[in-house]
Amino acid sequence: MSISSSASNRKRVAVTGAKESSTATTPITLSERSITGLALIRIFVGYLWFQQLFWKLPPDFRGLYPYIINESQHAIIPGYGYMLQHTFLAGCTSLGSTSGCTLFVPLAAAVWTAELLVCLSLMFGIFTRFGAMLATILSVQLYVGLAYTGWIWTYGMIVLLALVLVAVPAGRRLGIDQWLAPRLQAAGQQHRIARIASWLV
Amino acid sequence: MQTLRRGLLAGLLAGLVLAMLDFVTDGTPGRLLPEALHWFGITIANPTISKFAGFFLLLVLGGVFGLIFGALQRERMITISRALLWGLALGFVWWLVYSLLLANIMSHRAPFGLDFGRFLSTFPIDLLFGVVLGAIYFQLQQQRRASAL
Repeated sequence: MSISSSASNRKRVAVTGAKESSTATTPITLSERSITGLALIRIFVGYLWFQQLFWKLPPDFRGLYPYIINESQHAIIPGYGYMLQHTFLAGCTSLGSTSGCTLFVPLAAAVWTAELLVCLSLMFGIFTRFGAMLATILSVQLYVGLAYTGWIWTYGMIVLLALVLVAVPAGRRLGIDQWLAPRLQAAGQQHRIARIASWLV
Repeated sequence: MQTLRRGLLAGLLAGLVLAMLDFVTDGTPGRLLPEALHWFGITIANPTISKFAGFFLLLVLGGVFGLIFGALQRERMITISRALLWGLALGFVWWLVYSLLLANIMSHRAPFGLDFGRFLSTFPIDLLFGVVLGAIYFQLQQQRRASAL
């Protein structure tokens, strides 16, 4: 009696389990190969940003100037060009040089530093999601300003690549986040700052 | 022997990543590859052969650094922190020996002479080679451990 009862219970559990699995979403686990592949993509996206540091080097960041002018003329959001003209290009008197510009150098330095942080974060896989968020902001800004100066998807694809790296913890293979993530998660159980920092790896 | 073999494989793969990064440069593809030949005073007139030779030299040098990495571990299982730290240290040695000393000496410059642009273009990439070397070594070790269980 007890045997048949337990057998029918088992059957019921199996049927219920099958019903649940047909309605619930199955969790997805990335294989080692997949996450390593994503880590390689992360390194190359970081290298993409790395190479763009060299045509606008400090101290004058001159290479950035024509692009800011271009953005101020072709922005796809109304008012964005006006904003650039009154910040980056405030006081500028020439299209060919940065003479007279009052805010160009400090603002360009901020952009250059942000791009340096993005490339270091993505190449080394250190606080990768933070780097990817910063990359998303920078590439959305490029999309807004420059989308219609070339193939429209060029900057769109950079935005999408950055978003993929926000979604997936790609720094946890071939990167320093592999060492950092478990430590931050352990510390996050007691410290709120560590918990917040653990979202960024 | 295990650590040497693992180090060699990790070094070759890290060298491959480095060579691929040198291939996808702005401007002409593979523009930076012949630099590795320049460290040893080798000049090849044909630009295509020069790029291929640079590519394979980077693989070989990566393998050599991988062997050194493996030899330093002395048949021990290592932690991820040790793997990354040794990787960073070897990346620094790579930068010091090749990108700084040999590049300067072969260009008849002061051995430790360095400007900001050259530092920025070489130092992070060479450290990255080291991090990738250490991380791949650790991953191979974990795979081996998992298959042994």
